[in-house]
Amino acid sequence: MVSEPLLKIEVKSLNVHYGSLQVLKDVTLSVNKNEILGVIGPANSGKTSFLRVLNRLIDLTPDVRVRGEVHLDGINIYAKMNAEEVRKRVGMVFALPQPLPLSIFDNVAYGPRRHGLHHAGKLAEIVEKSLKAAFLWDEVKDRLSTSGMQLSGGQQQRLCIARTLAVEPEVILYDEPCSGLDPISTAKVEAAMFELKKRYTQILVTNNVKQAARVGDRVAFFLMGELVEIDQAGRIFTAPRDKRTDDYVTGRFG
Amino acid sequence: MKRQVESAIEKFILLNGVACIFFVVLIFLFLAREGLALFKTFSPLDFLAGTRWYPISTPPKYGILPLFLGSLIVTLGATVISVPLGMACAIFIGEIAPRWLREILKAGVELLAAIPSIVIGFIGMMTLAPWVKYLFHLPTGLTALSGAITLAFMAVPTIVSIMEDAITAVPKSYRAGSLALGATHWQTIYRVVLPAASSGIVAAVMLGIGRVIGETMAVMMITGNAAVIPTTILEPVRTMTATIAAEMGETVQGSEHYFALFAIGLVLFVISFLINMTAGAFLHRERK
Amino acid sequence: MKSRSLVFGSIIVSFFLIFAGCGAQPGQESSSIQIKGSDTMVNLGQSWAEEFMNLHPDASIAVTGGGSGTGIASIINGTCDIAQCSRAMKPEELEAAKSKGRAVREVEVAIDALAVIVHPSNPVSQLTLEQLSGIFTGTITHWKEVGGEDRPILVLSRERNSGTHVYFLEHVLRHGNDKGPEEYSPKALMMPSSQAIVEEVSQSAAAIGYVGMGYVSAREKKIAVGTAAEGPFVLPSVDTALDKTYPIARALLMYVPENHSAVVDTFLNFVLSDQGQEIVQQMDFVPLYQAPLRKKA
Repeated sequence: MVSEPLLKIEVKSLNVHYGSLQVLKDVTLSVNKNEILGVIGPANSGKTSFLRVLNRLIDLTPDVRVRGEVHLDGINIYAKMNAEEVRKRVGMVFALPQPLPLSIFDNVAYGPRRHGLHHAGKLAEIVEKSLKAAFLWDEVKDRLSTSGMQLSGGQQQRLCIARTLAVEPEVILYDEPCSGLDPISTAKVEAAMFELKKRYTQILVTNNVKQAARVGDRVAFFLMGELVEIDQAGRIFTAPRDKRTDDYVTGRFG
Repeated sequence: MKRQVESAIEKFILLNGVACIFFVVLIFLFLAREGLALFKTFSPLDFLAGTRWYPISTPPKYGILPLFLGSLIVTLGATVISVPLGMACAIFIGEIAPRWLREILKAGVELLAAIPSIVIGFIGMMTLAPWVKYLFHLPTGLTALSGAITLAFMAVPTIVSIMEDAITAVPKSYRAGSLALGATHWQTIYRVVLPAASSGIVAAVMLGIGRVIGETMAVMMITGNAAVIPTTILEPVRTMTATIAAEMGETVQGSEHYFALFAIGLVLFVISFLINMTAGAFLHRERK
Repeated sequence: MKSRSLVFGSIIVSFFLIFAGCGAQPGQESSSIQIKGSDTMVNLGQSWAEEFMNLHPDASIAVTGGGSGTGIASIINGTCDIAQCSRAMKPEELEAAKSKGRAVREVEVAIDALAVIVHPSNPVSQLTLEQLSGIFTGTITHWKEVGGEDRPILVLSRERNSGTHVYFLEHVLRHGNDKGPEEYSPKALMMPSSQAIVEEVSQSAAAIGYVGMGYVSAREKKIAVGTAAEGPFVLPSVDTALDKTYPIARALLMYVPENHSAVVDTFLNFVLSDQGQEIVQQMDFVPLYQAPLRKKA
């Protein structure tokens, strides 16, 4: 335990069923503080479900059963915390940029307002800080009152990141955040993620193996609901222990 | 060949659209011609501001102010009752109820819409009116309030089904986005879902009001039909629609009374038109 | 999809509106008869029609209500063969019919006594015509003023398309002067049917209304009516209507066009026959003459 990095999230024996369909099978892993964990795997491997378990958005799925334990800073998020508290501390950025049908300012201020902050000056401060952290401030500072839906795809995604940051979470989950973006926008989002490493623990689900290699400190490989392997990014891509991982990262899979 | 079929279908649809407008214009012209004919023999001011409706006296009095106010108070009352009720019901069905309950409730609401208005009026007359009479110690239960409650029941299915459609049509991503920021279920409904569905909600309310203001038979059975200017909602009133329905049968085509009833129809038309205009303006502003 | 069906709906409705006015005219030479008018008489007309169709199986008679005014408008507009009326046509209505080429003939077919009814708990049991006029015009607003309890009077009238409404207006409110200045109080409730009046009176201790004698049940109380304050006060019944001691009795009428079909003639003869008048009595109206009647058991 000497120089072991601090554990932010611990997942123990996680099993998730949608009705009779099991989508996660006995997953156990942990996420360190201030690291970026890349999560890769083919379609239907359970990556997105795994992410939605971590902030309890999975609660919204009808007929879902979650067994096992998920700890945030050592506290069981299913037994000891309510869903809103979990989601405040564990933010999420979705695959498709999904601003709310509000102005840019109101999109970012939405979270803080819901948690009781209505002081105009403080809100403006948070909005500016969050937009800056998401590398969007310079592009939108003159039109904060226009609708968030009028931004380009890449800008919308960074707006969603800013919106998530405004709540000051501890963990940020990304669900394939660049799947709909061009390479330049992707680069901007990745730059934001690096910048955010100083303060946040981040988990990135991606279909793009190269992105996981570029951004991830460690990478987890999921296959058909099972966690096949989790290791330092360098090892996963150069010397994986499991042959299936090797097949996937080298593109021989499926 | 394919192109010909295509263009034939297009023309057919165009014809339908044009026919629709054509008929609306035709109906309006007919209404205007018959309604405005009254003012050749009767002053428009006495018609609009007159407080006495005695169409079969000599000389007749065609003052529609009590009828107008009667319609107004019943419509307002029904709106005040049906909009919150319908909205709460739509939110519950669209956002809160589990799937099995949702299906049952939707079927129930549709069933409510399928009840003929005269049946609702009859039930209102037999059960609601005595209850209103007893509760407020009134000489009669046939009051504007009874009418408003009855009409609210007729407007609720319209309001619920259209509002529920609008709420369900809000993209799931809005809800997920809001919830992912730690907002509660209620905050998400109130701050995101309802604003996003607002145009549909306004349309639902307007159609509900439209249903109420145009309703005739039930209102005739339950409001008492006394053409007095109402001072409270606990008094009998006579609505414009009930007046047309009750008196149209007896009038001789081309008589002054006949024209007067068409003039009421014209007033109703103008009111509906204004409601639609208001709704349109509101929706337009919403979209910006 | 939705707007498409709206378009179709509008077209259908519009067609209906346009062609509704051009509906089939009632047959002049066929053996069918359209009867329209007084709600008071609709059941009576139906009974006559059923019995008549038993005797003449090839005849077909349709009886509808809507009020005397409706029947009169219909006979003037030429959309029925017989108008049943509980009031006489006004001179201008007769004139209107003539000017449209459909001059009409009046036939008296029965007599109806109008009962004034109140809640059974109401201690008032007799009123003069003067008091009734005051109550229905709104100059008397309190039961106390006519010897009753301390509560306001709830006045119930029929709608304006009702012959009963007009008859009561002219013969009670205006004391028989049909051009008099009296009007129903604007506070009077206009009920859509006699049944609605009966229903409301049986529920409200404050109510007073008028209906044809046949409508009254044990849940309402009939008022004895007097022409003068010192009496006599008379309850409505077949006998008091026939000997003309009950003051609010009126003739029930049928109007037919001068050039009507043979089957209409046969029907009118049936109505005026002993058999037709017996039906009048069975329906709780007053027949035109007493002589041939067997008293009901």
